[in-house]
Amino acid sequence: MIQYVIRRLLISIPVLLGISVVAFFMVRLVPGDTVTAMLGNSYTPDQAEALRSKYGLDEPLIQQYFLWLGNVLQGDFGYSQFTNTPVLDAILARLPITIELAVLSVLIAIIIAIPLGTIAALRRNSKFDYGASMFGLLGISVPNFWLGTLMILFLSLYAGWFPSGGFVGLSESIIGNLRSMLLPAIALGTAVGAVAMRMTRSSMLEVTNQEYIKMARAKGVSNERLIWRHALKNALIPVVTVIGIQAGYLLGGSVVIEQIFGLPGVGQLALQAITNRDYALLQGTILFIASAFVIVNLIVDVIYGFLNPQIRY
Amino acid sequence: MSDLWYQLKKNKIAMSGLFMTIILIILAITAPWIAPYDPYEMAPDARFAEPSLAHFLGTDQFGRDILSRIIYGSRISLQVGIISVGLSFVLGTLIGVVAAYYGKWVDAALSRLTDVMFSFPDILLALVIMAILGPSLTNLMIAVGIVYTPIFARIARGSVLSIKNSLFIEAARSMGVSNLKIMWKHILPNSMAPLIVQVTLSFAFAILAEAALSFLGLGVSPDTPSWGIMLSEGKSWMESAWWIAVFPGIAITLAVFSFNVMGDGLRDALDPRLKNESS
Amino acid sequence: MKKSYWGWLLVLFVLILAGCTDPTETTEESGGNDGGEEAASSEDGGGTLTITDLSDAQSLDPHVVTDAASMRYIENMYNTLFRYTEGSYGEVEGELVDEHEISDDGLTYTLTLHEGVKFHNGDDLTSEDVKYSIERIIENEVRSAQFDALESIETPSDTEVVMTLNEPVAPLLTFLAYPMNAIVNETIVEENDGDLSNADAGSGAFQLENWSMDQEMVLTKFDDYFKEGKPYLDEVVWRSIPDETSRTTAIRNGEVDILMQAEPKDISMLEDAEGVDVEMIDGSYWEYLGMNTEDGPLAEQEVRQAVAWAIDRSAINDSVKFGEATPLLSGPVPPNHWAHLDEEIYPEPDLDQARELLEEAGYGDGLDIELIVGTNQFQIDAAQVIKQQLSEVDINVEVLSQEDSVFFDALGSGDFEMTVVGWVGFVDPDEFLYNIFHTDGMYNQQNYSNSEVDELLEQGRSEQDQEQRKELYDEAQRLIAEDAPMAFLYVNPQITAMRDNVQDFDVNPTVTTKSLEDTKIEE
Repeated sequence: MIQYVIRRLLISIPVLLGISVVAFFMVRLVPGDTVTAMLGNSYTPDQAEALRSKYGLDEPLIQQYFLWLGNVLQGDFGYSQFTNTPVLDAILARLPITIELAVLSVLIAIIIAIPLGTIAALRRNSKFDYGASMFGLLGISVPNFWLGTLMILFLSLYAGWFPSGGFVGLSESIIGNLRSMLLPAIALGTAVGAVAMRMTRSSMLEVTNQEYIKMARAKGVSNERLIWRHALKNALIPVVTVIGIQAGYLLGGSVVIEQIFGLPGVGQLALQAITNRDYALLQGTILFIASAFVIVNLIVDVIYGFLNPQIRY
Repeated sequence: MSDLWYQLKKNKIAMSGLFMTIILIILAITAPWIAPYDPYEMAPDARFAEPSLAHFLGTDQFGRDILSRIIYGSRISLQVGIISVGLSFVLGTLIGVVAAYYGKWVDAALSRLTDVMFSFPDILLALVIMAILGPSLTNLMIAVGIVYTPIFARIARGSVLSIKNSLFIEAARSMGVSNLKIMWKHILPNSMAPLIVQVTLSFAFAILAEAALSFLGLGVSPDTPSWGIMLSEGKSWMESAWWIAVFPGIAITLAVFSFNVMGDGLRDALDPRLKNESS
Repeated sequence: MKKSYWGWLLVLFVLILAGCTDPTETTEESGGNDGGEEAASSEDGGGTLTITDLSDAQSLDPHVVTDAASMRYIENMYNTLFRYTEGSYGEVEGELVDEHEISDDGLTYTLTLHEGVKFHNGDDLTSEDVKYSIERIIENEVRSAQFDALESIETPSDTEVVMTLNEPVAPLLTFLAYPMNAIVNETIVEENDGDLSNADAGSGAFQLENWSMDQEMVLTKFDDYFKEGKPYLDEVVWRSIPDETSRTTAIRNGEVDILMQAEPKDISMLEDAEGVDVEMIDGSYWEYLGMNTEDGPLAEQEVRQAVAWAIDRSAINDSVKFGEATPLLSGPVPPNHWAHLDEEIYPEPDLDQARELLEEAGYGDGLDIELIVGTNQFQIDAAQVIKQQLSEVDINVEVLSQEDSVFFDALGSGDFEMTVVGWVGFVDPDEFLYNIFHTDGMYNQQNYSNSEVDELLEQGRSEQDQEQRKELYDEAQRLIAEDAPMAFLYVNPQITAMRDNVQDFDVNPTVTTKSLEDTKIEE
């Protein structure tokens, strides 16, 4: 087991390095730079040149990369050229919001997925099962940004139940915070819930067909006890898997959702960095998001390993 | 193949998905004949018209007919689907087959590359690629194609690995058949099933990705009748004219839904083990 | 193993919760002591005014920022040598300067500073600070061009500044009134290692209490402000609300007192709202259809004129701005400015005239043109309407929307045929015209060149007398409109919504909020 963890860690190193290469050079391939974005309509080549040399953007690219990587390894992500603040500070200030959004989405997903999936599996081929299947398919088909837009339209504008956007800090008001986060979390969590439900359903089916459950049933263990004590425990494995698989979706989806709901999270930061061509900030956020994905997956893999003794390493 | 069709026919949900997909294709082909209006035609007198008999789904801020634009939009969505999925299918399968067949450092290098690409959330990666290439329909298809390449690479690699050491491949190799020929003639056809399923599902992703990128303003040219652009423009008018944003959203959902349903059905039909479990 | 995975789930859950508690701590640190909850005291005016703009400041350093939002956040913490006269467009008056004298050759400016002005830290504001600030502006390059002609600054006494130029610059006073050409305190700059992005080095009516980016900025009354009795408000809170719907909701239910830059489509809704007043004037943001005069079919004057005749400015205004903008039928200087050219050179669209001109230029059978726009939705929309209108005279336009930095790069290097974009924030007519239409103008993106115009603009730059200048600029605008390097579209309204208890806030064409020092809130 420990060996497995170590091996997974070792594999992650080249991947993380690769991410840093891609993050850096991909960002530098983007045409236009901070300077043009900064100057806007007042752009002139001379002024741009002067600003570029001020930010060291006229050095050779390879040199800039190694300089950047060296600093990143020491925890220095550089300064945002646009706002002149440390990149790491900007990311860390916005991270809690994105994490809260992701966690709430996963919670909502689990609340929908586990009961629906379990019941659907137990009442296989019933109307409920078909209904749940339809929900699952619709859930992964509906664009989250459209769902968000619809919820703003009906629940905020027409019904007035929720604020239509903007973020309320947890420290300001817990209720206010939840009210501002709930709609975005539902918009983002629906697809995750749909995937998790489909997984719960099929793994429940698999588990209930397995010998030991059949055996237990033959031994007279009550049906309910069976479901909740034995089958469901095994069925939870896919939930963990889903969190891993969907981590990327959650992080990517947050770009769009945070934009719609005006949440100042990491996704919005990335989008801003793209528009402003804020190299250091964009490199930083992309590196950060991708590394977060790798690390979440690593953790999920390890937990998965503990959960599922059948997997051998 | 006939067996596949037989399996598909039995699956009602899959058949309904297929049916919807065919309608979508017919819409796209016959758009010029069935659309009631020119999708680009602005009518200053008919701005923000509610859904009515003259305009079934209403008009937008320029007085353009929304139904006509949605019908024409199916062309964009299908085009994006076909070309970008085609691109990721070819690229991904190539990477996957080569990695699995040659193994060793080739495999290690290509697999790490796929891992790296996998680590970037799809929308974010597509956004940055679009920023590099500039906004246009062609570039959007390239961006979406690149983003979904790693999935195909992974699936192809996995399924090649599972048959690489099977007897008939060994036999072919011992008879001196060239590597390329083995890959092309034997390995690829036998790894097709999961790839076909993925193609269908990727169609759904591609349509969603186009919509999301256009929604964020990094997609196709602004007057193109793309569902994503319509949705994005409609968002500003939600309070006063809900229909501008709502109908394109329904179109996207239905299109994506039909591909997902078909993908599900195909998976059941192609993979008997899964079929037993899930239906 | 089997038993223990509940434990592991628990661990996972705790991990998740740990992730949850983090935000509390960070937000508490950053936004904890905002003090916004305290009841407003109402003696002598007083009270807290909340004001909202589209976006947050990027930085608080006046000499570095380039975006309009930052400027509004910053300007109330600082003073400038001159300031825009309230209720006018294009005129300036002294702020820190009590008296000024300009030599006859226009090369020497002698400024006498107001005595007893204090910085927020208690230091006196002297001529040395003025010299230091102008040097810092030049060093930071963003606006150094305004001081290109500056040869030297002398400080004969604590209250006297003498600036010497190597050529006359008529708009210099306007430049000095620009809110971001602020006078900063050298000591504070040094304490912050030269970086004012999160500091307050000013002498303005309000001082920085706290700024947490993307949430809010709190400014409090500066008790030692040099203008006796001002400001009236105890506190000004800036909140950026980017979402249009949330913004208008916030003013409707009284969460904010002033909403800057409302959108034309919301005017009627805001006017109907209880307790909300809407004030609207022509602003400083004008938009145009730019045409590259260097090559391609648009290099021919007739083709450009045909375009100028073919577009229907009121129809674009109706479709895109709900008819709330003011169409520009001659030059770019708006009607409420003293330098406006009061003539209608393109009064109504005239398609026959346009077709004739195209025929003359040899494009009777039509032509293809690419029109680029940025990500501004109004400009994208305007481009689509223009495409439609030009198709009437067989000009086939392809609209391409590019990301802003790519777009401005293309504009700046003259790499485009046609574009829809705008300029914002000009005050002196020299700013409106010289850099944009002079052959050697810094922002002459259209590559326009007319020696007559050049001469007029040069004269306008050295002439001090306003009436003389108006004549020069009238003639220049007439020539430019006829040459049509741009088809001017409209000037945007500056729409401000206020709660009806807000008094004496000046809705200014330049969107400056410096009148907050005069603003009161009635209980």
